[in-house]
Amino acid sequence: MSAMTCTRLTIWTLCGVLLQMIGFSVFVLGFFPVKPTLVGVSGPESYRSPANRSTEDFNFTGTSSDELRSLFWELSKIPPSYDRLIFMVVDGLPAEFVLGKDGQPPSIAMLDAMPYTQSLLANGMAIGYHAKAAPPTVTMPRLKAMVSGAIGGFLDVAFNFHTQALVDDNLLGQFFRIGWKMVMLGDDTWLKLFPQLFLRHDAVSSFFVKDTVLVDHNVSRHLPSELNQDDWNLLILHYLGVDHVGHIGGRKSVLMVPKLKEMDEVIKMIHRNNVLSYDKDRGQSQQTLLVIVSDHGMTDGGNHGGSSQDETDSLALFIGPGFKVPQYSSYTHKSANQVDITPTLAILFGVPIPLNNVGVVIAEGLDSLTDDQRLRALELNSWQLLKLLAAQLPDLSCLSLASDDHDDDDRWSTISTCDGILKGKLCCLYSNAAVLHNLWRSKNILRFNSSDLYNQTVWAYYDFLSSASVWLSRRVTDKPVGQLALALLAMFLSCLVVLWLLFCLQRESLKETLCCIDLKYDVQRWSFDEIFALMVVLILVISMGSSSMIEEEQYIWHFVMSTFCCILFRKAMQSIPVGMQSSLGNGLYKRRYSEISSFLALLIAGRIMRGWHQGGVNWTHFPDISKWLEHAGHSYIKSIQLLSGILIISLSLFSFSMSRLNRSFIFQVKFTFLISGLLVLHHIMKYQDNTFLSSSYNATVMAQVIYAILGVSTFGTVLASPWLTPALICGEWASSDTQLSASPSMDAQIRCVLAGTRESSYLSGWAYISCWCLLQLLLQQPINSMPVFLLLVQIWASMNYFCNDELHHKQWVQVSALYFLGMAGHFGLGNTNTLATIDVAGAFIGISSYSTLFSGVLMFSITYASPMLFLLSLVLYISVEGTSFLGIPDDADLGPLLKMRVAIPCLVPLGINSILLTVYTIVLLQMRNHLFIWSVFSPKYLYVCATTVCIYIGLSIVAGTQIYICWVCSLRRRMGMSLMTDTNKISQKWQRSYFDWALKEGQ
Amino acid sequence: MKKRSDEYSVQNNDTMKVSAFGALWLHLMCGFGVAIAFWVAHQFYSINLISDPAHSLLLVWIVECPIVILLYSLLRDNSAECSYLKAVGRGILGLPAGALVIALGGIALGAPIGTRYLLGTINWSLLMSLFTFAPAAAVFGSSWADWRRIFANTRPVGSVDYMLCLPAHGAVIGSWFGAWPMPLDWERPWQEWPVCVTYGGLAGYVVGMVASLCFVIFSSRRPQQQHVKAE
Repeated sequence: MSAMTCTRLTIWTLCGVLLQMIGFSVFVLGFFPVKPTLVGVSGPESYRSPANRSTEDFNFTGTSSDELRSLFWELSKIPPSYDRLIFMVVDGLPAEFVLGKDGQPPSIAMLDAMPYTQSLLANGMAIGYHAKAAPPTVTMPRLKAMVSGAIGGFLDVAFNFHTQALVDDNLLGQFFRIGWKMVMLGDDTWLKLFPQLFLRHDAVSSFFVKDTVLVDHNVSRHLPSELNQDDWNLLILHYLGVDHVGHIGGRKSVLMVPKLKEMDEVIKMIHRNNVLSYDKDRGQSQQTLLVIVSDHGMTDGGNHGGSSQDETDSLALFIGPGFKVPQYSSYTHKSANQVDITPTLAILFGVPIPLNNVGVVIAEGLDSLTDDQRLRALELNSWQLLKLLAAQLPDLSCLSLASDDHDDDDRWSTISTCDGILKGKLCCLYSNAAVLHNLWRSKNILRFNSSDLYNQTVWAYYDFLSSASVWLSRRVTDKPVGQLALALLAMFLSCLVVLWLLFCLQRESLKETLCCIDLKYDVQRWSFDEIFALMVVLILVISMGSSSMIEEEQYIWHFVMSTFCCILFRKAMQSIPVGMQSSLGNGLYKRRYSEISSFLALLIAGRIMRGWHQGGVNWTHFPDISKWLEHAGHSYIKSIQLLSGILIISLSLFSFSMSRLNRSFIFQVKFTFLISGLLVLHHIMKYQDNTFLSSSYNATVMAQVIYAILGVSTFGTVLASPWLTPALICGEWASSDTQLSASPSMDAQIRCVLAGTRESSYLSGWAYISCWCLLQLLLQQPINSMPVFLLLVQIWASMNYFCNDELHHKQWVQVSALYFLGMAGHFGLGNTNTLATIDVAGAFIGISSYSTLFSGVLMFSITYASPMLFLLSLVLYISVEGTSFLGIPDDADLGPLLKMRVAIPCLVPLGINSILLTVYTIVLLQMRNHLFIWSVFSPKYLYVCATTVCIYIGLSIVAGTQIYICWVCSLRRRMGMSLMTDTNKISQKWQRSYFDWALKEGQ
Repeated sequence: MKKRSDEYSVQNNDTMKVSAFGALWLHLMCGFGVAIAFWVAHQFYSINLISDPAHSLLLVWIVECPIVILLYSLLRDNSAECSYLKAVGRGILGLPAGALVIALGGIALGAPIGTRYLLGTINWSLLMSLFTFAPAAAVFGSSWADWRRIFANTRPVGSVDYMLCLPAHGAVIGSWFGAWPMPLDWERPWQEWPVCVTYGGLAGYVVGMVASLCFVIFSSRRPQQQHVKAE
């Protein structure tokens, strides 16, 4: 097998990475489509045709709610049909229980369970729909869909993870704007969505799924008093009992019928008290509409979340005095979409339809209106959808068609059968409807008998509305299968490429090892630590299929990491010799003790970090050190913060002083890092004195100064260090030294170059690590300062362990151990796989004006502090690991040197990560109908993607630094060769510093 | 390494060889000890591992302790120089020392710390020590070479080594696997520390005993096999 050259390796790796990047970005865009949403709220302008682009602005910010209400009425030309709304959500009630399935009435048991509701339906006093819910069929997104009419994508959730409140235009916001008073009883999801909106509320948590009685009792106990109050306009009731019954016993649970009976009693009470009594006590002015909906259905087992027929079959039931449909057959399969509730309610209550609504008004819901008003309602709905379409299809051209300066004959001629591609078809349908509507308007004025034309117009409107609605909602929920498969294929290929490269490298290094050293140990056999490193990847791959394991991933990392340490410990024990023999064993013992102490440091630091944050999802309430400290008081946290700051600074300074480069340069480096460390401590002392960060001008300036000093000193150190290694004189020394050989020894020169690159990467590595730790000290929450120090201790201990390679660990095992440590530390800093734990507060330190880019970068660096730290420590690892001297290339060319040093440390993290990424993509595709797809699997996928990005960044820093160092060193060697002829040019200073270094090297 | 194992095989030939029947008897006794302890706990104290893990574990290790130490002391190394009582003493000393190591290891791997779990951890680590370190202490005393051969290198030579090494490794590996269900949200009482770890350890111990029995029978049939294997 021909050895792979450095260039080929680089090209292959870059190809793999590029393929992977393309693959996962295409996958993310396909799986989580980003739909453009309109921002703002719809106001009076929604009552005007989108074609009519007049510059006249409605300034309604100052208008009072009553004025706004009458303005809406005036503009819409539709008087509100009702004054009060009771919105009753029965969580998880399948429409089948009330309306039957496929035109068949529901089962006898169900008919008996809800006698009053069934009688309402039979008498035509209620209209029921199978309201199809869009996946994910979980409560919060469904409530959002019902009040805003929009089907949100997952990334919409991810992008405003800092607040759960619904910020998009929605019905409740519109009601609030026209001065409605609202009362909410039931599930606390409503409070999360609308934190400030309710006049009164009594929220119950849906967390205790096993409770089926109290959750509903808590709602019903307020009902008698609330129903008699008349200070509210909207009463929201959210009953959780049915859903909980389903979760416990499934659809056919014995508890289901009593629970439905209870719901029927509630409906009976509301209907008798409020809906029927409008004309008796309160007069015509207080008409109440009762809307009973369920947010989703349930499977036979009682679960929900996916997109099966059973789960999406939710109920929408309108009960009001206006609904008197004489020949109403109650079990015809009337279907609608869940989002259709929004525009219907908006029209009935005289508020503008929310901006991002994709629903279509329900025809029978508008029965109380006149023909003219009904067409107007359809027109308003069409305008709203047209505006939304125009936002998604920027060159939609039909907005200008609706002008009415044609003759009647002209108009008739424009009506055509519509087919063809999307935009043209939608435009054509809309213009047909608009033309017919105008025609109907003019005929109506001329008192023609126009019921035929009316029906035609309604049909035309519904043609347009339904096709627009279908297209808009499909934009969000449809997954382009081909695109996803292609993306998956790209990721899989890149994974194969990286693994193949690793395999080739491993085989090559095995060959080199075989020819270079005597066979003291068996290189061919797999040792236990190598098997375990592979097993860790396997364990991770398996655990990704289980939602509980993803929720509690921190346990896996810690458990696996400490087991790995124990296995390495066992390996170290194997080589402790028998008996206390001789002085020769003395040094060996010392080294073993230092190894054992680094294991203990690794284990203890890992265990403390594990106990620092409980983490996860299910056991967050368990005690941990951070909770204990926060309870103990702020002064403890502050002193721990200071202590860890001082420890970090002194550990970095100590490590800098271990470097054997030019003394004065080292002194300068130490000085700048000390200064920035002290500035960080000063910032902590002065500005972070409360649990929230003060954002004063001084604090911001100071943080910016710290960023600047840290950046300058780190990059200065990295840039300068290869120029300051004493390798320049190395060649000369080798030639003049009589002990080595008489002639300039090539071997010695190469050794010198290697030693030089080693020294400079040691210094660069510590510069990166110290810079990153100090930055994290500044940015992380105060409670996290100690874990940052523990991470540094772990790096120190592992470097101490790796620097003597007597145990013959393979390089890839060491690098993967560093990767695992980084991920264990990621969870040790309190991160989880939910989006809730991302620290937003720290992302604004040192930023004077709001900038999404900068705070995004800061947020990323806070979240990925630990993996990035361990990736940066690879620079240090390259300088300390012991195998670099094994296969010395014949000429100290740039290529082989680089390959020897950079290839494995870069390819191993890339390989592990690409395996995890590819496998998790497959898992995500398989789980797309799972109950927890949006709450567990999708956030985890975002984290996996972010980890991938983190690895790209970290590895490019590592590779860039190494390339720079090797390039400078080989350049200097060549310069040195040419200079050798002219010894006068070598300054005295260089020689002196070199001898210092050589003396130390000799020791 | 090669030289050393030769030494041991020579040594082993001197010491008392355990017949397959003896190994069966010993392992059966150890297994019955655990079973009897659970039965006693259930019958007389009406507790089990789930309802009161700490006290059940206490009962189990107290019942198991004399059985394991007395039986394994019979197999002591160098029986000429080392009296039976001394071997028993070594086993008794090894019990708390091994328990300390196991408790620290368990905590490092994530066992909860706290007064609520303290008693359970102590009793669990004593029981685990009875499965792993106490018998080895009774047999080998403080001979580092033997300890290293059994626990660091896992290269058992001879029937006594198998009887020490395999159940101990089985118990440790079983406990390791037993810890996996602990963080899951199944809300089962046996997910508590140290219940499922103990189940795993016991299962591993039983598997290890069966395996060691098989090896002992196998090696007693073909005595020269062990030399080949050791080299």
